[in-house]
Parts: sequence; C-alpha cells; structure tokens
Amino acid sequence: MIPESQSAVIARNETWRGQVFTEPYEAGWAREAVVFVTALANATGPAGTAHLEISPDGMRWAREGTSFTLPTTKDSIAFARASHFGNWLRLAVEMPATAELVALVTIHSKA
Amino acid sequence: MNADDLRRAMQLADPRLSRFDPLPRIIAFDDFDRGFCGWTQLVGNYEHTLDSMLPGYAQHSQAMLSTLTTWDFGSHGSHDGSYALKIATKAKRGAQNVAVKRLTFRKRGPLRLEFYFTFKPEANALRLLETDVRAIGFLYDFQTGDQDGDAWRVMPHLRFLNAENGAHVQKWQFKPRTMPFKELGDEGKIVSHYHLDPSGWEDLPGGHQRLCYNEIPTKVNWHYACLDFDLATMQATGFRCNDRAFDLTPFAPIRIPAMRNLWCMLNLAFFAETDTDKRAFLYVDSVCLSGDF
Repeated sequence: MIPESQSAVIARNETWRGQVFTEPYEAGWAREAVVFVTALANATGPAGTAHLEISPDGMRWAREGTSFTLPTTKDSIAFARASHFGNWLRLAVEMPATAELVALVTIHSKA
Repeated sequence: MNADDLRRAMQLADPRLSRFDPLPRIIAFDDFDRGFCGWTQLVGNYEHTLDSMLPGYAQHSQAMLSTLTTWDFGSHGSHDGSYALKIATKAKRGAQNVAVKRLTFRKRGPLRLEFYFTFKPEANALRLLETDVRAIGFLYDFQTGDQDGDAWRVMPHLRFLNAENGAHVQKWQFKPRTMPFKELGDEGKIVSHYHLDPSGWEDLPGGHQRLCYNEIPTKVNWHYACLDFDLATMQATGFRCNDRAFDLTPFAPIRIPAMRNLWCMLNLAFFAETDTDKRAFLYVDSVCLSGDF
C-alpha cells in the first residue's frame, strides 16, 4: 500500500496579532511533516516568528526547537520541517507590537 | 443458496463488515486505518476574497486521523484498529466543525448510512465534563439528477443534542429549514447558506436517548447509528441508534430549489459543536454507505 500523505489547512485567513497558537493537529500516523505559513496579504509592521511545538496530549506544549521567520509579502511562504514529533503539532506565533499578518497554515504530513 | 444468501453469509463472515447491515451494493466502506477515505474539511464558498466566506464556514478546519490519545492512560484506539476520523471544534462556546465526503449517485433508490461514533470534550479538567459537548450529528446533501422531473436540493440533518446551557439534554433532533442564501462576490455565480446554524432544530418524537458516556472524560464507548433514506422519494425511511429505532413521522429534510452545478450530488457530513469554551471531539470509525441498485 502507498504510504499515507495528507495536506491539512489548519488556519485560513486568520489575522495574527500578538501571541497566537494554531489549533492542535494530531498526526501520530505521520513520520514527517512540513508546516507552511503563507501570507495572504502584505503584512503590517515587522516580521513575526513561529515556533514549532509538540505535546504528549494535545493540551500541554513544549517548544520542539525549530523556529522560523514569518513571511511579510503577499503570497510569500515560510516553512519548517518536523520529524520525531510524536502525536501532536502546533505553531506558537509571536508577532511584534503593531505587527499583523493574515495567514494560511498548511501541514503536509507523510507516513 | 441464492446470491443474496451468499452475499449475506460472506459479509457476516468478514469481521470488518459483520457489524454492519449493508444494502446489496456497498458504495463506500471507510475504515480509517486505511487513511482519510475521502473525508475532508467542509470549506465555505467564496468569490474574489476569502473574506466573503460566511463565518460559520470560516471556522472549519481539517479532520484528523486520531488514536484517541488521552493524557491519563495513553491511546484509546478506535473501534477496529488504531485510527478513527476526528472532527474537533475550537475551544469557544458554540464553535462547530464539519467533515465531508463528496460523491454522486447512480440511481435514485434506497441508501443506508451506517457508522460507529463516539464523542468527548477536551479532557482539560478532572471532572466528568458530560455537558461540554453541545451536539454531534450528520447530514446528507443531495440534488436530483439533471434529467429528473423534479429539481431539488435535499439535505437531511440529524443531530444528537447532548447538552444545552449546562443541561444534559440527550435527544435526537432534525432540521427542516436552512438559513437564507447570500450572494457572494459580483459575478452572480456563487451563493452560500449556513445550514448548520444552531437555530431551527426540531425534536424527533421519543428522541431522548441516554448514550453510554462512561465515567471519566477520557474513556469512550462506540455507538452504532443507521439512517435509511430513499432517493426516489427523497424521504428518510428509518433511523436507529444502538438498541433504539426512532419514529421519523415528522422528519423533514431541508428542501430547496436545485442549484446550477450540483446534479446527482451525494455528500455526507459529520459535525460537532461545543457548548462551552472546550474543544468538542467527534470520532467516527467506521462508515458503511450502501445502496440497492
């Protein structure tokens, strides 16, 4: 059987300000994932930062160690790769004061 | 032994199908150990900008494959195997989420939808939490064929209203009407209506049912549900959940004039809604859709 592969849009057209967490995404079946953030419009202010987080239960979270700078121009993309992440993934986003980003978040997972 | 007896005997001997009572033709058998099986996010309609999407749809996100992992004892697992389809709301009172499977039909005849399901809120408190999930439910979205004498879009909805404003209600309801349509964009081609608006649900007579919920918020038990629907008459003909069969006499689906692009549509959807600021989780494993054609 061909290994499972899925693209999941977990946040769409969301306006990010200050501190934001994406919804918990359960994918224990997946060995690897790429998390993309697409800017749906030009951002306001300086670029934010996203931190990959993992969890034993979908409720308590820890930084996985991967962080990346968020895109600031319309249709530009930033991403992080993850493996050995257990069962749960999410992004913890930090936007500088006065900064704003309209984001699309897509997780591509593979068994 | 005739062909029907042989088919029935083979189904009863197959552990995957023996827990179902399918009509002669199995249209879909979705065991989530084989992946998502075509179940995806119900995204809302839009034109030119995503801002035109109705808020009810904008909140939806992708279903997941879950092992029903708990903080206190680990993975619960599904009805059969490791994985179930998981539909999770956001942690905001009234939040909803929907997963959909999109097909078309070959013949307007009897259909049977059978599935096993369970539900729980996010177990982030050491309490029973039996009134945090407001409702779970399912729906069909049909449209007649392009050459048929009638031209309708028909959307049978059923939900289990588990709790409302903290009261443990536990009853089955149906929805005979949708919300007004809204034109999106400026090309006159795309409209939208949020048929899962919380208003307009009506009670099935005798529809109270105390489902097994178990004794702490992380233990689940699986329930069986079966809806029979006749595409020829566009009427529901039977509904069962576990040991109960319900009176569908007053049941009416949402019925609206046919739309320009949806001929022979056969969509299925599952949905969840939370009554508190906790995520509500609906799990499904497995789904068997069958027909008589």
